[in-house]
Amino acid sequence: MAKEPFDERLKRLEDRIAAAKATREDPPAKGHGEYTQGSLAWRMVTELVAGMALGLGIGYAIDWAAGTRPIFLVVFALLGFAAGVRTMLRTAAEVREGRGEAALARRPDGAAPRQADRALRDPDDPDEE
Amino acid sequence: MAEEAGGSGFNIHPMEQFEVHSLFGGHTVHWYTLTNATLWMALTVLAASALMVLGSRGRSLVPTRGQSMAEATYGFVHKMVTDVAGKEGAKYFPYVMTLFLFILFSNVLALIPGSFAATSHIAVTAILALAVFISVTVIGFMKHGSHFLNLFWVSSAPTVALRIVLAVIEVISYFVRPLSHSVRLAGNMMAGHAVLKVFAGFAGALGVAAFIPILAITAMYGLELMVAVIQAYVFAILTCVYLNDALHPGH
Repeated sequence: MAKEPFDERLKRLEDRIAAAKATREDPPAKGHGEYTQGSLAWRMVTELVAGMALGLGIGYAIDWAAGTRPIFLVVFALLGFAAGVRTMLRTAAEVREGRGEAALARRPDGAAPRQADRALRDPDDPDEE
Repeated sequence: MAEEAGGSGFNIHPMEQFEVHSLFGGHTVHWYTLTNATLWMALTVLAASALMVLGSRGRSLVPTRGQSMAEATYGFVHKMVTDVAGKEGAKYFPYVMTLFLFILFSNVLALIPGSFAATSHIAVTAILALAVFISVTVIGFMKHGSHFLNLFWVSSAPTVALRIVLAVIEVISYFVRPLSHSVRLAGNMMAGHAVLKVFAGFAGALGVAAFIPILAITAMYGLELMVAVIQAYVFAILTCVYLNDALHPGH
């Protein structure tokens, strides 16, 4: 008899803790994610441009050494562009799988807070899901 | 600078803050000259050491404020390294931690008005990125020998000619990484600080209406603080990603 109200009180406390956690965790994570998505987009742009610039540089250097001005410049500009696209696609794969830097961008709907909730809950209680 | 312009129109020099100059007079900067860059990098090292060494000196079971900051930083970076690069990556944790702390403190100290942003110079970030690039490459060759070169050889391509072209592309894209790695950090820092300076120049030129750019500066400053921390994080986590590629080159 005396156990029942105690359980109820405990449950109420748990609900309040969960509610407090929810209000405290959400807002900063949101702004964070948006910034990181912008930062990921910039990373892809940088990689694209860096690949092109690197290709142009290599081509120009080979031409300068061999005295064949336009040929290698053109070839390596294309190769550099392809390398930039390759790097960018790798970053895109990273974003899709939520690895690396992209893990920051996924935090708002990520699994971390939910796991913390589960740890707080009573596994024997059928009312809680 | 811009403040003394008064009503005489715009007098904004957003790039002046990035000038490297000698600390003790003299106009030429040699490799051994003590400059403002030297000073602020030394301060960065001092601040990082102060947090970690002084913070953890007490070794109390219930941490003090300093100790819990140091422990939180340690735990955060350690988790990042093991999450991204796996158990074998934990061996290289000290390096990643050093990089993270140096960039973090350099970025945050650069937000002090009148200070010098060392990480806004591509020379600094390029050295950091090159060090990562070289050490990751060396680790890859040490762990896997010549098998590390399989990273560049796309054996699923149908003909040998195509494989050679793809290998050239892969090699270039391997070299793209340190370049974009360093350009991003320096670019982010430089852009933010230049924008702050431009807004400060507006405040100097607008007279009474100066409260608008000052409010904008306040908002920008908050954003810059976030950028400073996130860029340090990004640099460290990219180091972990490259380390992971070197440790497990099968993809």
